[in-house]
Amino acid sequence: MAKDSDLDLLEDGLRKTMLSKSGPELDAALTELGWAEMLSDMPDVAIPMVFRLLGETGSHASVLNDVVLQSSRRPAGGIPVLPFAGGIQVVWERAAVDEIDRWVLDNSTALDVLGGLPLRRVDEGDLLRLAEGRRALAWWLVGSARAMLSLARQHALDRVQFGKPIASFQAVRHRLAETLVAIEGAEATLGLSGEENPDLTALLAKAAAGKAALTAAKHCQQVLGGIGFTEEHDLGHHVKRVLVLDGLLGSSRELTRKAGAGLRARGSAPRLANL
Amino acid sequence: MTELFEPAAFRTALRTWLDENDLTPPPGEDSLDAHQKQHLRVLKALYDAGWMRYGWPESAGGLGGPDILRAIVGEEIVGREIDHPGPYSMLDVLTPTMIDYARPELTADMVPRLLSGQESWCQGFSEPGSGSDLASLTTRAEQRGDDWVINGQKVWTSFAQYATRCVLLARTGGPETPNHEAITAFFVDLDTQGVTVRPLRTMHDVDEFCEVYFDDVVVPADRMLGGVGDGWRLAMDLLPYERSTCFWQRIAYLYSRFDALIAEVKDQGQMVDSDMGEAYLALHTLRCRSMTTQHRLGDGEKLGPDTSIDKVLLAGAEQRLYDTARDLLSGAIELDDTPWRTEYLYSRAATIYGGTAEVRRNIIARRLLDLGKE
Repeated sequence: MAKDSDLDLLEDGLRKTMLSKSGPELDAALTELGWAEMLSDMPDVAIPMVFRLLGETGSHASVLNDVVLQSSRRPAGGIPVLPFAGGIQVVWERAAVDEIDRWVLDNSTALDVLGGLPLRRVDEGDLLRLAEGRRALAWWLVGSARAMLSLARQHALDRVQFGKPIASFQAVRHRLAETLVAIEGAEATLGLSGEENPDLTALLAKAAAGKAALTAAKHCQQVLGGIGFTEEHDLGHHVKRVLVLDGLLGSSRELTRKAGAGLRARGSAPRLANL
Repeated sequence: MTELFEPAAFRTALRTWLDENDLTPPPGEDSLDAHQKQHLRVLKALYDAGWMRYGWPESAGGLGGPDILRAIVGEEIVGREIDHPGPYSMLDVLTPTMIDYARPELTADMVPRLLSGQESWCQGFSEPGSGSDLASLTTRAEQRGDDWVINGQKVWTSFAQYATRCVLLARTGGPETPNHEAITAFFVDLDTQGVTVRPLRTMHDVDEFCEVYFDDVVVPADRMLGGVGDGWRLAMDLLPYERSTCFWQRIAYLYSRFDALIAEVKDQGQMVDSDMGEAYLALHTLRCRSMTTQHRLGDGEKLGPDTSIDKVLLAGAEQRLYDTARDLLSGAIELDDTPWRTEYLYSRAATIYGGTAEVRRNIIARRLLDLGKE
């Protein structure tokens, strides 16, 4: 395990890279920074860090493919089929691909994805192990939610109306407090390693994170008022991103319903967090 | 004995003991008096067998070990519905306060009486004019020789009708003293002349909360907790305890009720899945959050405003659970006197007691988000 100071350096390096690059360029930069080794040698550190930072910086990369392939014991570098909400199936396009993946991409349909993620629709695909991918997306959603909260918090302190910062109004404060509660709750679900039931633990974490990100989007949009609705402000970018990421690998709404069905089948509620 | 300090071994041993020693409450006794009787009986059995002494220091009659052991006892006892979360929670709130603030001899003398079920205690904080604004309290304590004389009124004092003693906040400073230095805490015997306890009838028909009147009640100076003016600090230190180990057992209770709800609704088929999933997600999120809090407490961290997040999550999950029960068990609350009725009504107070939802959000905004003053 790397030392804390090394991890801080790594995190700083990743953040800087993500702030300057996105998409295929970021894929290439992450490869150079040793993403493949990080993922195989220390996934418990690498996944939370990289995915949370994608959320915080608003950047994107095709690293979800790597996580899903690794946890499904598939060869690295491919393009796995990913379920989206409502039974839709998609692939996350990446630039450098071999022949098989070219075939996958050639048989896919271009989509006009909100916020510009390179997703394409496919008609059929294998069943893959999604738990690790859901955890990764949950970290991404939590990162995006924190980015939105940070934008809204700063705006509330800076924006003056009725002669005082709007952060001094309880209605505004409570929306931001509510957002923090949702984010902290989701992060707590991600803190659970979930050895006893990795699938359900990951499913609930993705559901909690999706819900927290949508809560953050709603409250932060409101606190940011008119400026948050303009294209020049960063909020809209995060809002669009979380709408898409919430749907990927199952929406919060779907996963919650699935958890409910599991309760009915089992006849009791699993206590996943134990002292 | 110290091999039991390891949480997993401790839990296994406790579960074995509970399986062999049946503490199930007698059937059909749902009155508050019966609950109290059961509460004391359970504590005595657990104290005699040692379970109630783990996680508390030897100076307070305990056997030592990490705080997490207490959370495990609470989870098993309340999760099995052997005791109710309300009475049980008083131990986890008042014992640390005594350890931190009472004279060591007073702690050594008194705490074992609480833990062993010889006595119950209560917490005299809120007043008719001081709810969310606790620092404005007006119950006064005046020094007279070696004694202090207390006059005033407390309200929402849980289980005061059964309590032998009360941890009481009173004003000792004059109008010029800032509120937060003007308050002093006392450990008051409730059989003292001048104390009157009157249970309040609540919306859910349980006389859990009381009004307590103090008319020229004489308290010896050696019953002061901390020094003059330390009362506000004591209160601020106490409140996170309301949201630590106490919460873990309350969560265990909510899970046990949720299991009961699953059993009652599972024949309705998939139409219940979304609602049940929502309730489960709220409970699971709360449980994960509280687990990190238990670990922080166990690592000796001082808990502070961050526990307001736990409280918001708890109140939300509790109300969600009982809203779900009302939505899915048609008529169980409105047309029939089931336990769901009482519990549903009681859950309406979850966003009020122990710091309202609004005060909790104010604290989160001010202390955790650093949004400055209102």
